[in-house]
Order: sequence, then structure tokens, then C-alpha cells
Amino acid sequence: MVFSSIEFLFYFLPIVIILYFAVPMKLKNFILLITSLFFYFYGEKVYIILMLAAIVSAYVNGLLIEKFRGTKLSKLFLILSIAINAGMLVFFKYANFTVDNLNSLLGVNITLANIALPIGISFYTFQTLSYTVDVYRGDVKAQRNIIDLAAYVALFPQLIAGPIVRYSDIDNQLQHRTITVKKVSDGIRRFIIGLSKKVLIANALGQLCDIFRNTPEKSVLFFWIYAISFSLHIYFDFSGYSDMAIGLGRIFGFEFMENFNYPYISKSVTEFWRRWHISLGTWFRDYIYIPLGGSRTTKIKWLRNILIVWLFTGLWHGAGWNFIIWGLYFGALLLLEKLFMKNIPDIISHIYVLFAVIISFVIFNAPDMKTVLSDIGGLFGAGNIPISNTVTLYYLRSYALVIIAAIIGATPLVKNLANKIPEKVSNILEPIVLIGLIVPITAYLVDGSFNPFLYFRF
Amino acid sequence: MNSNIKHKIIVAVFSLIFIGAFICCIIKPATEYSESERRKLNQFPEVSFENVFKGDFFSKFSDYAVDQFPLREQFRKIKAFFTYNVFMQKDNNDIYVIGDQASKMEFPLRENSVIEATEKIEYLCNKYLNGSKVYCSVIPDKNYFLAAENGYPGVDYDKMMSVFNNNLEGVTYIDIFNTLDIDDYYPTDTHWDQANIKDTVNALANGMEIQLNADYKENVLEPFFGVYYGQSALPLKADKITYLTNEYTESATVINYETGKYLPVYNTDKFTAKDPYDIFLDGAVSIIEIISPKAKTDKELIIFRDSFGSSLAPYFTEYYSKITLLDTRYIQSDLLGDYVEFSGQDVLFIYNTSVLNNSNMLK
Repeated sequence: MVFSSIEFLFYFLPIVIILYFAVPMKLKNFILLITSLFFYFYGEKVYIILMLAAIVSAYVNGLLIEKFRGTKLSKLFLILSIAINAGMLVFFKYANFTVDNLNSLLGVNITLANIALPIGISFYTFQTLSYTVDVYRGDVKAQRNIIDLAAYVALFPQLIAGPIVRYSDIDNQLQHRTITVKKVSDGIRRFIIGLSKKVLIANALGQLCDIFRNTPEKSVLFFWIYAISFSLHIYFDFSGYSDMAIGLGRIFGFEFMENFNYPYISKSVTEFWRRWHISLGTWFRDYIYIPLGGSRTTKIKWLRNILIVWLFTGLWHGAGWNFIIWGLYFGALLLLEKLFMKNIPDIISHIYVLFAVIISFVIFNAPDMKTVLSDIGGLFGAGNIPISNTVTLYYLRSYALVIIAAIIGATPLVKNLANKIPEKVSNILEPIVLIGLIVPITAYLVDGSFNPFLYFRF
Repeated sequence: MNSNIKHKIIVAVFSLIFIGAFICCIIKPATEYSESERRKLNQFPEVSFENVFKGDFFSKFSDYAVDQFPLREQFRKIKAFFTYNVFMQKDNNDIYVIGDQASKMEFPLRENSVIEATEKIEYLCNKYLNGSKVYCSVIPDKNYFLAAENGYPGVDYDKMMSVFNNNLEGVTYIDIFNTLDIDDYYPTDTHWDQANIKDTVNALANGMEIQLNADYKENVLEPFFGVYYGQSALPLKADKITYLTNEYTESATVINYETGKYLPVYNTDKFTAKDPYDIFLDGAVSIIEIISPKAKTDKELIIFRDSFGSSLAPYFTEYYSKITLLDTRYIQSDLLGDYVEFSGQDVLFIYNTSVLNNSNMLK
């Protein structure tokens, strides 16, 4: 079930809202757990067992880590927890990729049935991993109530697409959150904004990318339109979903961390990754980079640490060589920036970042390495393709306004303009705009058949 | 208004919207068929242990939820409005409108499909049509007139016809492209208007070396909303269907091989059914026979056709005593011999360009 669907908005969510606000505080986590498990079961009947296993493992290991704190057993249970979580993730996400590459590299013929990727596994394993590590570090106490822990892991607002919520961030909120009219209202606002980004902008740009893939009559201009559109599509899709997750969390009384902060205004790739998928970047920083020594070590180890983190970042996004290259590409750019790129004028650095990111997303979205090369080549005219053609100009004209709206929406301009509106006026306008947005959103959902969510593959 | 009131309004209104819509979804009786989309709407899936735990209950529920949403037609119109007028996109679900004319984009050219169409025609010629005079013609779809001129992606029709003619042997091709223009087609439908194709009929008659010069009376049925009216979800102007009658059409009898019914050439009861265009020969059927007792000759004609043939065939009742229409989209070519006696009749293959570009539909 995706948030931007009729069944979620007009069946599941109303039922959850009614149940959640009808029960006393002490039962709210239970309601969230039950409804979240149903939410997950709706899309993933078989592998719900895996998520339950991850929850039980985190619960049991968390308690044992705390019970044996200061002894080798504590570390053993931490290692066990990591092994279970990482093992699940590695097996279900990378087994087929590993076997295919072994077969190619060694000329053998190992057979493995096609293993389906359980929805959200990359998100909930990272959450349970962070929980047990934080318990081990003493940053949080082990959760004794399995309902509360399970509600945290399975919480449907962030279960399948993030943000990656650290247990330490919501530990207190599980028991002591307050629900106020203002919070619910802010949550609704955030949710509707996210829904608009996803349904009205991201889906349209996604359709354009699909059209590009299916059109044999390509041109250099069409490659660039695709590259820019996909870069905007993935931003609006993912940040829209994060907005919805944060909005829903707020409705239920939770405050989740921000996951995006206008990444396309960045002036360096370093800055870009502080603004893009923030919860993932900080997770890798806190659980991989810093434990490896971070930058407070020898230069060789520092280089190693950066490459490891970016290799993992690429792999986290998908089991494919294009993802590995994508991750290492950013690792290399980060290193170049830290070592060589200083005192560059803002405009040039901004253009460099946009160019680098757009190229990276072309790599990211290619289904295989052959397409990576042909797509990159197409951007620069390889393959004797024309600069432009009728098909390209048609789709440029047809999607021009959507692309322009997306470019503007990817900057803080709209937010800054909205903040300038006098409070008395915005208090009237805001409900009208939000209610107004529901109409086209519903219309697009009723009529549209194109509504995938990119990060579902994670 | 202060912020507190604003927050209360937002919470109250959205609670009403989501919970109210939920209640409406639950209590609204299911609709079986969408007139505008011309398809059956998904119904509530069967609830069973098998279905829920092992089957596709949830994906079917998702389809049901979308199809049965209250005020679905109105929301589709709102979406079309936003697509065309707010986001200024040039098409909605591949449907575009130029003036009053609506059409569906068709591209790219699938050369393999065109070649396969010629192979299917040759197969039928070799299997059934030895000794027959075989003619072939192709009807341009509306995009031929609209797409290139208005900057819409389209098929390279010159290339399509070059591939078609270069791969088809042993039949006489009759070119009718220059006998048609966009005004000869229904504005809200894919088909041509029977009353406006007299030049086309004359070109076919000349090519087939027959005489067709009867007069017709025009009969009008309105309002007619063609297939694109519903698909575009736009407030297009109502159209009309004009069907032509004379002593030949009025004395002819149509035999629908699928239903076994005997019908008139124009089944006007169908005007108020799902597809009003079905008034012509009872609609899309695998085998239809027209017996024309007052025809000028006792010759017989076989037409291998798509739906355009339904409104073309009545013109031939003047000349042919029996016209058999075969639509291999609905019957395997190999089975035709079980139902039709092929004995040296005149034969006309006539398909529109969309069928050639998607010839996998021909069996």
C-alpha cells in the first residue's frame, strides 16, 4: 500500500485515525502496531515474518545486551543482532547479485531461485541495527515492552520509505508524546504538501521518464530532458514521501527528523549529501564512518573510510553495478572536494553540483551497465542521434510547465514567499489551499494508473 | 482569524473529508460499467482465506477502490481539466484535441508489425483465396491528418505504406489516402463518418472494377458521443451519426454468426447501447453475412476488415448479392474454412493504419 493511493487515503487512514484517537494513550502504540502490521501485510504477505523476526531479534538481543553490559556476552549479543539483521539484508537483497557475478567471473553455474526483495527491508533492518548498537553504547535503555519496540520498528508512516528513525530519537515519544490540535494540523499540512509533491509533480515527471525509455526516437535534447526530469522526479518522489511520513508521524504525536533540505541549492557535493536523504547519510556517518575512525585517523584510512561508506551507500540503494558506481562516484567527488576544491565562486560550484548530481542520477536509474554507458553517451551525442526531433519537442512543450514548477519547487522560493505572507492572511489562505489541493490530488489518483514509488525497491 | 482557529478548521475539515469519503466509499453501490471508458469496472474481490493469504485479494482491492470511488467521472474530468489547463500538457492519457477533433496518439511505427500484417494477409490468400480477385486497401487513422501538422508524435505513414506495399504480393492495392480528410471522421470517435466517404467508396469501386452509383437517404441519430469523448474526459461537443439507406440496404438482411440473429443492416437499437457505432451491422463480430436480394449482380464479396468495414460494407449491397465480413481479431484465421465457403468471390482486405501498427491483434 502506498500513501498516494485511494485505498490508503480513503480506507486505511480514516480507520486508523478513528481507532487511534478513540483509544486511551496506553493503547495507542498497540493500535499503531496492529495497523502497521496490516499495512505491511497488505503489500508483503509472506515476508512480514522477516520483519517480525527482526523485531523479536532486536527485542531479545537488546535486553540481553543490557543485562550483560560490561561483559563479553554483551558484545556477543550485539554481534548476533548485527549478524541477524545484516544477514537478512545481505541475503534477500544481494544473494542473486552475488551469485550472478560469481557465475560471470568464475565461469561457474551456481543456480539460485530468484529471491524477491521484501518491501522496506533496507529501512527496518537499519532501524533495528541502530537500536541494538545504541543500547550497546548506552545511548538508550533497552525497551522492555515489546509492543512499544515493535510499534517503533513497524510504524507505518516510515516503515517502507523512511526517514530512517533512530530509536534514540523517539524513545521518549513512545511513552510520553503529546497530541495537540496544532500538531495534528501541522501534520496534515505536511502530509498534504508531500502528497501534492508526489501526485502532482513526481508522478508526471516519472511518466515523462517512462516515455523517454519507451521511445525509440531519441535525441540529445531528449536525453537531457530525461536526465533533468529524473533528477527532479526522484527528489519530489522521495522528499514527498518523507513529507508524508513526517506529517503522519506528527498527526500521531511523533516528531521525526527532516530527511531533505532543498538539496538542489547546494554548492558542493558535500553539502548536497547533508541535504539529501539526511537520515541515511547520518546513519552511515554514526554507525560506519565514525566507528571506522572517520577523518580522525591516517590519510590512507580516512580515504578507505570514505570509500567504504560510499560503497555501502551505493549498495544500500540497490544490488547492481550501477549503484556501486553511483556510490563510489560520489565518494570520489567528495574526496576531490576535500582535497582540491576550495574558494570556487558560488555560481560555478552550484553549476558543478547540479551537473554532477544529474549525471549521477542517470547512472542511478539505468537498469544495467550497458544502459549506463548508452545514457551517458546519449547526453553528449553518441550514437549519431540528432540534437532534437519532433518527439522531443512535443514532450518538452507538453511537460515544460511541470518541469518549471518542479525546478521552482526544488528551491526554498515558495516557502520564503509563503513566510512573507502576513499571518492573518496566511491563516485564511492555508486551509483553503490545503483543501483545494485535495481535489486535484484525488482526481489524479482516480484517473491515473501510473503511481509507483521509486524507493519501494529498498 | 488566529492560528488556533486555523488549526481547528484544518483538523475538522480534513477529518470530515477523509472520514466522510470513507463512509461514501463504503455505502456507495458498486457500478458495473463505465460508459466513458467503455469497460467493466472492477468489483469487490472475493474474500476467502486463499485469496487473502495466497492470492491477489489486496491488489484487486486496490483496483476496486479506484474504479468504485464516488464521483469517479467527475474526478476524471477534473484531472483532464488540470492536465490541459493548469499544467498545459498537450495530451491526457495519450488523447489530444485539435479544435473539435479528438484523437489518440499512435507512435512509433512498428515495422515488424506491418510486415506481420502482410504475412497474415498472404497466409489467408494462399490458404483460401486461390482463384479470387484480391484487393487491398488501408484506411489512414485520424493521426495521419492531425499529428504531424500539429506537432504531435506520430507514425511515418509514408514509410509504413512503403513497407506494407513492398512486402505484400499477389494483391491489387487501392490507395484511398487522398480521398479522405479529417472532416470525414467523427470528431469524438476513431471511425470515419459513413456519409462522408463517398469519394473513398468510388475509389474502391474503380479499383475493384465495379459500379456503385446509387443514391442514398441520410438518416441522423444524435447526440453521439464517440469513444474519445469518454477517454478524453473533456466537454467536447456532441456529434451525430448519419447512416445511409436506399432500396438495397433496406431489403438486405444481416446474419450475425455469433448470435445467430437476423438483423437489418442498421441496428438502430444499438444507438443507446455501449457503443453507438455498433448500429452498423450489429458491431464488432467475427463473421457477418449480408444478403442483398436486390443487388445488381449475383456476385459475392468477402471483406477482411476491422470496425471501419462495418460502415463501408452497406455501400456494396448495391452490387454484391452476398457480402461476408470476416474480422480475424475475433476468430482464428485457420477456423474460417469451417464457417465460410471460399469459392472465387471478390475479396477486399481493408484495415486502418492502427491495426497494421498493432497487427498482433490479428489472429
